[in-house]
Amino acid sequence: MPISYVFNKIINNEMVKLTKPVELSLFLGVNTEDNEKIRSILKIYVESSKDLLSIKEVSNPIISKNYDIKHFPAILFINTDGKEIIRYLAKPFGAEIRPFIETLITFSGDPNYYELVIKENIEKIKPSIIKVMITDSCAYCPEIITFVNKFAIASNGKIRSVIIDIMTHSDISESYDISSVPITVINDKKSFTGMVGPDEVLQELIGGS
Amino acid sequence: MNSLDLEKTYDLVVLGGGPTAIACAIYAARFALDVLVVGKIFGGLIATTDIVENYPGITSTSGQGLMEMFKDHMNSLSIPYISDEIRSIENAGDYFTLHSFFQKFKAKSICIATGSERRKLGIPGEDQFAGKGVSYCATCDGPFYRDKVVCVIGGSDSAAKEALYLAQNSKKVYIIYRREEIRAEPINKKKVYENGKIEIINNTNVVEIVGKTNVNHIIFDNGKELEVDGVFIEIGSIPNSEIAKRIGVKTNEKGEIFINRKSETNILGIFAAGDVADAPFKQAITGVAEGVIAAYSAFDYIKDVDIEY
Repeated sequence: MPISYVFNKIINNEMVKLTKPVELSLFLGVNTEDNEKIRSILKIYVESSKDLLSIKEVSNPIISKNYDIKHFPAILFINTDGKEIIRYLAKPFGAEIRPFIETLITFSGDPNYYELVIKENIEKIKPSIIKVMITDSCAYCPEIITFVNKFAIASNGKIRSVIIDIMTHSDISESYDISSVPITVINDKKSFTGMVGPDEVLQELIGGS
Repeated sequence: MNSLDLEKTYDLVVLGGGPTAIACAIYAARFALDVLVVGKIFGGLIATTDIVENYPGITSTSGQGLMEMFKDHMNSLSIPYISDEIRSIENAGDYFTLHSFFQKFKAKSICIATGSERRKLGIPGEDQFAGKGVSYCATCDGPFYRDKVVCVIGGSDSAAKEALYLAQNSKKVYIIYRREEIRAEPINKKKVYENGKIEIINNTNVVEIVGKTNVNHIIFDNGKELEVDGVFIEIGSIPNSEIAKRIGVKTNEKGEIFINRKSETNILGIFAAGDVADAPFKQAITGVAEGVIAAYSAFDYIKDVDIEY
């Protein structure tokens, strides 16, 4: 069975759970091959969503600059106020399909398991960026992506998450001197190597304020 | 229909995210139990395995691939799964209250299927170079060692499989083992011996991992040194039984939970299965079987019906 068939099937099965409309912004760079790859992947999601998911393509450099986008292609979850909540510098494919769809569903307004505790602690948390460095063969990455994105959604962007495929963006990997995944970096200061739980990340966000 | 509802008392809360936990939840749902799964890592240790070739009915797949199938099965029954860790359990007699950092849940019964985690060597340099050349997951970190020299410390079947995976891309793979001969399954042992990139160093212990910013060599107990770029540690695992011990579940000297043939522990309403339990032979398939039995026993316990085993 071709692997793409298996992944398409997962997308089809999981996207059924999306019941409210969501729009994502896709920032495209100059590499047409990369642009086409990400377009074709997102197309599968859109087609499986019964038009609940829409993709707004952005190639205007001024808008890209406004969002400080230096790596392309980038998928952004932007709230109704125009605020960035989540950034994907990774293709939502393979093991990353399920966390991506779970993020879409939560972003659409479905219940968020972590919301209550994040909101209770929101005053203690300073504006933060959590970067999750991943590869497509990393077993622990999907779990971390899922809760970090949910933290970002629950905080309405006070916590922002950035999901980075370091095999695609080797310059980022080199700048952080990474030879292991997952790596979860909070505000470019504290980093966790390997599996880290939602409680540990939240405690760091609270303690680090 | 199962759903996540923090107000209700679940028939069964399954702790864990590996095949044992998911199998238990699937059977519980099919017994019409209200079931919730709370796991720290979906997939468990098997998700870090490159190739699984001993799960009946599936000739060959990756550990992640196998767990994708488990997830599909679980989702088809609408079993709620949450990523969290239970910190404490209170026993009220006819129900339990489970506390995590984020929420609390009530359950009539519990299945502890928290699995195990990689054992550390406990030698100088191991913590210092974690993520900088020291790894516990070849499938996660193997791609960083393309055309480099790595070693796998350990002689188990898992160690052999890690070495075989790493040999696909690395220049050279050493297996370093403290005993005379590695203990891999014969089929994997043969593959190791036939792989020209793998060299076994027997009867040797690593006593230190050395480097500057990243690992560059290891030191053996005979004083010799070996230049390596990566050190993959695969020396077995430790059962995740702390939560069980805290509520009085009995464990053996290894920390494994004592269970009987019904996957029952010494505490009424608490069941255990898989790597965290005291079976001598631990495989995904044996854990799955214990998990299924735990679900059956939980059903028996909750519904108070007679079941013939």
